[in-house]
Amino acid sequence: MMIKSHPGEALLYQYAAGDLSAAMTIVVGTHIDMCKACRRTVCDIEQKLCEDNLDTIVNVANQAMTKSQCDKMLEAIFESSVCNKVENEPNDILYLEGRRFTLPRTLAHNSHRIGDWSKLVGKLWRAPLTLENGNQTNLIYMAPGAKVPEHTHKGQEATLVLDGVFNDEKDEYKDGDFVLLDPSKTHTPETQEQDCLTLATLDAPLHFTSGISRLLNPFSSLFFRA
Amino acid sequence: MQMVSGRTSTRGSMNTTQTDAAEHAAELLASIAETRSRAAFSELFRHFAPKLQSYATRQFGNEQTAMDLVQETMTNVWHKAHLFKPDKGSPSTWIFTIARNIRFDLLRKNKKRKDDISADELWPILSEQNDSLDDGYSLDNDVLMQEISQYYAQLPDAQRIVIEKIYIEGKSQQEVSDALGVPLGTIKSRTRLALKKLKELIVNDD
Ligand SMILES: [Zn+2]
Repeated sequence: MMIKSHPGEALLYQYAAGDLSAAMTIVVGTHIDMCKACRRTVCDIEQKLCEDNLDTIVNVANQAMTKSQCDKMLEAIFESSVCNKVENEPNDILYLEGRRFTLPRTLAHNSHRIGDWSKLVGKLWRAPLTLENGNQTNLIYMAPGAKVPEHTHKGQEATLVLDGVFNDEKDEYKDGDFVLLDPSKTHTPETQEQDCLTLATLDAPLHFTSGISRLLNPFSSLFFRA
Repeated sequence: MQMVSGRTSTRGSMNTTQTDAAEHAAELLASIAETRSRAAFSELFRHFAPKLQSYATRQFGNEQTAMDLVQETMTNVWHKAHLFKPDKGSPSTWIFTIARNIRFDLLRKNKKRKDDISADELWPILSEQNDSLDDGYSLDNDVLMQEISQYYAQLPDAQRIVIEKIYIEGKSQQEVSDALGVPLGTIKSRTRLALKKLKELIVNDD
């Protein structure tokens, strides 16, 4: 199956640089789990970011580490013990309304963050994904023939189709499709004969002062082939 | 006046020095993973710590936080060297992604609550759980076999020999490692770099 709707290159840059919010990172990351093309692009971006941020840097820091600082840090590292955070067992199976879904890797790793399902209006179900304070990320399940009431958004809404198909005024979206919705437009997603499981977040990129991705944007077209 | 022959690739091109440096770093990581070699780690540390410090200083503008990033990143490298996969990318890219994750968490340190998600959960590069998605660097086999011969000559000898043994003689990477007396990690990184180079040549040619 072909995924036709992908995150833009700027978004993939911000993802790889760690400049997106946790919520947007998980939606883009889950798309990447499902999309080989974007996975390759992100590998290239990570390499490029590394070249620009580590490889080509020869001590521009004003206060480069002194030998004694180095030795002290080395000592501390050798003394440190492995910090094995308890990893939650990934669970990639989700049962809902008699259906069995397989979750992509990033979501499976975070399955313990999926809260209880609650029934919304009509044929919609929602489970929150607890990521960090103030986040609004949800799994949304639309049974066949469901319709989300018309709405607009202040922030940027990203929706990723995990399984199934939904439509809005403009298009039809299927497994793996990543959709960024224009905040100024109203939209009305709906399902027809098939049901649909999506991951959706309402968000805006964080504003970091660093802006490595900003620095890189002008060059990105030089090393990306369409 | 300078004569430039041939094509210059705009991306991903690596000169011999960089390739050698990457191979050497991969060998250091392998000794750290296999024998807990402090000497190997110290060498790696002296190479990467100043670079990480420079990256972190530009990110945070704060010397202490920058040092925290260096220490946390290199602590992960020391304990998790066995998770580096030479066939997936270069050592410096791996270390960069660790630093990226540490930065993500450091930026949220003050407002973080206990259950908030951490970078390792978003980018599970240091996960011990071995769930592999296939990597992005496999070439289509038919294309490879048809066109590869034309491009052989352009590979550095060390990489060409590895590719020949794997793709023509059908040896495993371990067998090539044994036959050449070169560490497995080096074979993996040579394979990756060679395939990447070939792919560039193929893509540039059409
Ligand atoms: Zn994609």
